[in-house]
Amino acid sequence: MSSARIFSLFIIFIFFLALPAQAKDMILKEPPQSLSKYYPPESKEPKWIQQMHKMSTHFGGVFVNLKEKDFENVDKHADKLVEEYKKTSEMVPEWEEYFDIKAAEAFAAAAKTHDMAKAGKASGGLGKTCGKCHAEQEVAVWTRFHWPSFRKIKVTDPISEKEMGFDDYMSQVSSSFKGVTVNFGEGQYDRSAKALKTFKSQFMELKSTCSKCHTTDDVKRFYVGEDADTAFAGLAKELNAEKPNPGKFWKNIGLLGKTGCKHCHLTHRTYSFIRETWEQK
Amino acid sequence: MKLSTRLLNLLTAIGCFAIAGIAVAYFLINEKFEWIPESALELVREKELLERPDAKRCSECHKDIYEAWKESRHSISWISKTYIEASENRSKEKCLACHIPESVTGEKPSPRLDRRDDGIYCVSCHFVNGKMNGPYDLVAPPHPTHRNPDYVNSRFCGSCHQKTFKEWKETGVEDTCQNCHMPRTKDRLTQKFPLSLLHKQKWVGSHKFLHGDLSEKDILMEAEFKNNFFNLSLLNKTVPHKVPTADNGDPRIYLYITFLNAAGEQVDQAKEILAPQQETALPFNKEVRFRYRLFDPVAQAIIVLKYQPAWSKERVVIWEKIIRP
Repeated sequence: MSSARIFSLFIIFIFFLALPAQAKDMILKEPPQSLSKYYPPESKEPKWIQQMHKMSTHFGGVFVNLKEKDFENVDKHADKLVEEYKKTSEMVPEWEEYFDIKAAEAFAAAAKTHDMAKAGKASGGLGKTCGKCHAEQEVAVWTRFHWPSFRKIKVTDPISEKEMGFDDYMSQVSSSFKGVTVNFGEGQYDRSAKALKTFKSQFMELKSTCSKCHTTDDVKRFYVGEDADTAFAGLAKELNAEKPNPGKFWKNIGLLGKTGCKHCHLTHRTYSFIRETWEQK
Repeated sequence: MKLSTRLLNLLTAIGCFAIAGIAVAYFLINEKFEWIPESALELVREKELLERPDAKRCSECHKDIYEAWKESRHSISWISKTYIEASENRSKEKCLACHIPESVTGEKPSPRLDRRDDGIYCVSCHFVNGKMNGPYDLVAPPHPTHRNPDYVNSRFCGSCHQKTFKEWKETGVEDTCQNCHMPRTKDRLTQKFPLSLLHKQKWVGSHKFLHGDLSEKDILMEAEFKNNFFNLSLLNKTVPHKVPTADNGDPRIYLYITFLNAAGEQVDQAKEILAPQQETALPFNKEVRFRYRLFDPVAQAIIVLKYQPAWSKERVVIWEKIIRP
């Protein structure tokens, strides 16, 4: 077999190998600047998402009313959908190509026949245009406009009283946490108790940090709430005891990890990583 | 009769008419404004004053109130560095309603799109449903003003200061927000001459929205050394809401305790952060206790209480005390 042939086969093999992976890949590009005017502070309200809700409501309204044989409202929703779809297509110039006005009009026409099957069939063409944009942009838009940037958050360390970036602060929290667990593991209970004082103070400071975005007490308490209080009280009790009970100590460490740490990390970290990548540009 | 005498008489007559005119106008405007025909008032109305003017425009007449407001945190609610940083360049939607309110009415307001640099300004609080509102019914020829009792009611401030309002309500104290934060003095509502002459003096609240200075009489402390522990308690005695308080800001009181031995050397230290966001602020008239275990002999404890407002990194000493066993 000639080397050229082997090379060609290799390329074909690589191509087919890569295809399924490419089909599943998701590339998150920062949304265009023109979208900013539909989100605060440039807009009073998150108008873009509201626009999405409007279209979704009219789209759903067609089918709800077809099912209920309320044809007057089917027609109304069909017309409103086309109107809102056209309006949306003009909002972000960079995304104009995602929209297919003819598909929207075809769907409206099919809906107005009041035939569920025809409407269902025509919805496919329109749905594809929505789906393409959602697949390529939805996560990016949510990340950019509905999640905070942790890199902009400043925290004052209650121990050193120095202001620092959020990432640096979390490193400090992590270090003081290790001071508690490592020393306990080594049987150095006094050192562990001292580290606990620091760790607790830094952990509780996160309540203030959370409040920079979370204005509702219940949400703040989801991250740093009763479980944290219980865990810290339990840890302090063990470390002040003459003979600390490792089982109870690690149980309380686990409680802190499973509630405070995990709640926040599971909710925020993924989006935070994406924003961090964009902000590093 | 000499020309100069005639002129003097003429001037005297004009003066008398002017004074009489002002006196009549004063009487009508302040006492019997219902006697003034609407058509006469229409002649002196300044319609653009009912089209959401900026604060500077209001200052043309209400100079004193404007200058007081200018010194307040309300005037910089949109442009303050602290807010811009904390709101990620003002992109947090939930902050907008209270940092640039369109109309404050006792409910959470909506944000506005115009005149944002004025923050919480004259129009935000006094212009509701196309009318100028305030604590008095006034004929105010340039713009009529309608009395609304909400202006002397804490609920009005509670539109935005919701948590503080709730804290105050729980204390059962009758003094309103305005009683403490907008102390009243007798003054004229306008300083624009000669219109100021037509205004009777009224009780006017300070638009600086005073921020209370804390002292020894506000936050009481008791402390004692007992066995191997140092026990300390703090009591917010005078402020009928938590201290410090905030809905979303992060003001703090820092309690520093330094333990010294007989040689004056530091043997230990402790610190407490009393902050609304950490749910550790001092409630009204309720003792808050702290307990510290002492590992070494202690000859004295130096206790310092400092206050840091939400908008500053500077800490002001409230009091400093030394406790000995």
